[in-house]
Amino acid sequence: MEHPILFISIILEKLGLPVPHGPVGHTLLEQLCEPYMTYTWLVMAFLFIVAKLTLSDLEMVPGKGQNFWEMVIGGMDDFFVENMGRKLADQFFPMLATFALYIAVANLIGLIPGFMSPTASLNTTLALTIIVWLTHHFIGIREHGLSYYKHFMGPMWWLVPLMLPIELISNLARLVSLSVRLFGNIYAKETLLAILFMLAGAFFAPLPIMMLGVLVSLVQAMVFVLLSVVYFGQAQDHAH
Amino acid sequence: MSDYKKEMMFLLGTYGHIGITFVAAIFIGLGAGILLDQKVFDGRTAPWFTFIGLAFGIAAGFKSLLDILWRSSKNMEDKSDEEK
Repeated sequence: MEHPILFISIILEKLGLPVPHGPVGHTLLEQLCEPYMTYTWLVMAFLFIVAKLTLSDLEMVPGKGQNFWEMVIGGMDDFFVENMGRKLADQFFPMLATFALYIAVANLIGLIPGFMSPTASLNTTLALTIIVWLTHHFIGIREHGLSYYKHFMGPMWWLVPLMLPIELISNLARLVSLSVRLFGNIYAKETLLAILFMLAGAFFAPLPIMMLGVLVSLVQAMVFVLLSVVYFGQAQDHAH
Repeated sequence: MSDYKKEMMFLLGTYGHIGITFVAAIFIGLGAGILLDQKVFDGRTAPWFTFIGLAFGIAAGFKSLLDILWRSSKNMEDKSDEEK
């Protein structure tokens, strides 16, 4: 398949930096110049700059920019409190809200020609998922101490040999399903857009998929955060 | 966001997740079984751990499915309690 035109990669190549053409670069510099890395930094810079521009002077009577952020942050805060309680929501709000904003922007950026979604690479989504997975075990151990193992033992003692492998497998399945679902949805969207653009770009064939892509991008970002919140809440709850 | 839209997003999130969790659980179980058979026991126990792993994987898939169902039915009960 023809490689899509990624303007950051072209700029980097003009600057003489090695941009890998295969899926994975060999040297450290090549790995840093991967499209998903450069576009991750672009999304980070975008979020920093937009937040700085709109929130640099907070006022009692909010203007347009501050109003928007208050709505987004307030909505997310309500949602977290509803699903995992005030204490956990306060502790993990910065992490989860950053994930939500980052994933939403990273998904949506792929709809613009010349950009690529960083989340269309398994490396990015797996990194996010591993952070969430380790954090939910951390919450469980902090809350219950060593008796956290009871979460994996099932309801009755004579069911332990049966329930332990099942619980372990379904816990590991979270790691796979959370990362692969986000990656798969966004990669499918990107590939479909590229193919439709090549086949019938002059007749606006990718347009319906782009509209669908906006929906998928937002829903996937929300689902990722929703499931993280649910896992955090479950790790803090008592074992059945 | 209206309540209807919120509910819709919530349902999309929880139920859209079922399919891939199920598949992931089965593949992890199967993979663990094959790993035990081929790497740990060098193929001496050949098909057995694969089958046991597959069975555990399928069981884990159903377990995560039931978890999601129970959780959502619990949420529904909580909501109806609040309304009363």
